[in-house]
Amino acid sequence: MIEITDLRKIYRMGNVEVRALDGVTLNIEKGEFLGIMGPSGSGKSTLLHMLGLLDLPTSGRIVIDDMDISRFTDYEKTMFRLYKLGYVFQDYALVPDLTVMENVSLPAMLRKDRTEEQTKKDSFSILQKIGLCDRRDHLPRELSGGQQQRVSLARAMVNKPDILFADEPCANLDTENSRVVLELFKEINESMHQTIVMVSHEDWHKEYFHRIVRMRDGRIVSDGINDAPKTTA
Amino acid sequence: MGQKELKVAFLLALRSLQRGSRSSTLLTILIIGMCFTNMIFLPSMFSGIGQSITQQLIDYEVSNVLVSPKSGEQYITDLDSTLDLINGMPGVQRASPQYSKGATFKYRQRVLGISVRAISPADEKEVSPVYTRMVAGSYLGEGDTGEIIIGKPIAGDPTVRQEDEFQASLGGVRVGDSVTVEYGNGYTRDYRVKGIYLTGWSPVDNAAFVTWTDMEQVEGKTLDQANYITVRAKPGYSEQFIKNELLAYGVGVTGNVQTMTDLLSKSVGKVLQSFAIINAVSLVVSVIITTVVLFIVITIKTLNSRKQIGILKAIGVDKEVIMHNYGFQVIILGILGIILGIFITLVLAAYMSVHPIVTPEWSAYLYVTPMDLVINSVILFCAAAVAGYVPAYQVSREEIQTAMRA
Repeated sequence: MIEITDLRKIYRMGNVEVRALDGVTLNIEKGEFLGIMGPSGSGKSTLLHMLGLLDLPTSGRIVIDDMDISRFTDYEKTMFRLYKLGYVFQDYALVPDLTVMENVSLPAMLRKDRTEEQTKKDSFSILQKIGLCDRRDHLPRELSGGQQQRVSLARAMVNKPDILFADEPCANLDTENSRVVLELFKEINESMHQTIVMVSHEDWHKEYFHRIVRMRDGRIVSDGINDAPKTTA
Repeated sequence: MGQKELKVAFLLALRSLQRGSRSSTLLTILIIGMCFTNMIFLPSMFSGIGQSITQQLIDYEVSNVLVSPKSGEQYITDLDSTLDLINGMPGVQRASPQYSKGATFKYRQRVLGISVRAISPADEKEVSPVYTRMVAGSYLGEGDTGEIIIGKPIAGDPTVRQEDEFQASLGGVRVGDSVTVEYGNGYTRDYRVKGIYLTGWSPVDNAAFVTWTDMEQVEGKTLDQANYITVRAKPGYSEQFIKNELLAYGVGVTGNVQTMTDLLSKSVGKVLQSFAIINAVSLVVSVIITTVVLFIVITIKTLNSRKQIGILKAIGVDKEVIMHNYGFQVIILGILGIILGIFITLVLAAYMSVHPIVTPEWSAYLYVTPMDLVINSVILFCAAAVAGYVPAYQVSREEIQTAMRA
């Protein structure tokens, strides 16, 4: 589903060259719950940004569903993000002036293949799934961190994306809320066969992943199947 | 850019204004409202002064068409037949001649040089509204002799001492008093003051009127000449039409025929031209100020929202939607600001129509036409749109990562 070949990202800071990604090659299969782990500065978030079309690689190739995304125009990238990808950010990244329902509906409202009725129905249904239906008219600032992250997940899922990217979604949450959010990811992966690529530096998160890619200094240092992933009770 | 995208952009704009900082929204609307008022106030004031001068010229000096002596001559001669000719023309309501003579007025210890104008009261009433501006006594009657009407500034105020007077007067003449008038030809006569008027038009307020019959006694002959003839057009007839008629009937042989517009362009034309230049400069400055202020407001707004803009782009919101979001915000703010500006302007116009700025030469009020409001609204709206869209365009094109790191 995703083929990454010799991906490099080099930042130049004056005369200093920082190799954030240094020749990453990786394949991700449909339905996988992949965890990218590693210490700070290992290049895991940079890799996620490249896959999520949020940043451009210096060199290398990313093919998603047989499409070379480096050939996309700016507009095509936007549409690809809207129709094919979902993104969950570390700091929730909700629009503060929109209610929970409006935040969740926003990506669906822009889809040309959805009617207004369908958008409402889908948003309502996903809010029910994450258990925040009763909070749909609240503003993000009126919710707890865990609730906001669940809304962020609902927004990412409302368009039923092919791939869901999550950039340290539990970094701002306590353990209890982290577990709630991770369980939701797991449930979505299992029930909807949703491909998920999640970046994390918390070692205990690995129990949720099917496959774990470990990075250091912009390179993949290990790539292996998690033999005993946690299953939904 | 489809309907869905515009709808989302509008929703984002509306919610940002509804749920964003209320004080900043209200302040922006107030700034736009004040800019609108600033744009329209000075030009409307000058228009008001121009209108006031024009109307006073029509009412008290020229009427619609003025017939004056040919160059090098002092009087229009053959007056009776000229008046008969003019009054018989289609479109002419009435022609009224005036004959002026310098005189010295004496009242108690005061002496004052004044121009006395001879009129035919019935004709004059049809071309000039001086008879409606009587502040004491009454206007001249057709058969009056030995009676005079004078302007209030000439009559003066008995409570003001001579050395404190703004302009020399007779020191408090009242209706019924007798004033001695000594004409330039040596003829002296006592007149009973029949009325005192105040028009607000200085040249008329500093003159006195007697009947044509009285002036004939002063000159000691039948007056078949006049300094000028003012001609009032019937409603629906243009000045130019009357002028063309007069010229066609040969009035141009005995006198110069000029419309009020001709005279206006010569006399106050330069003043009005200067007003137009000041108006244009004022408009340009106001538009620049408005554009810059809105540009700063929207730039700050977009800079504060850079992270959010990055997030919106990351979740698949097109940059056009983001740009139109800010565009709609400024359009909404612009419309509300313009409505506020129109309200302030109308309140000021209503106030100044009751309390105009009065000077000896003119009274100034705000002359605002619906077209002025529409034109200024459109200009301000366009300025607001440009001021809003430029920073929105810039920020919407920023790289996602750069914006999100902001």
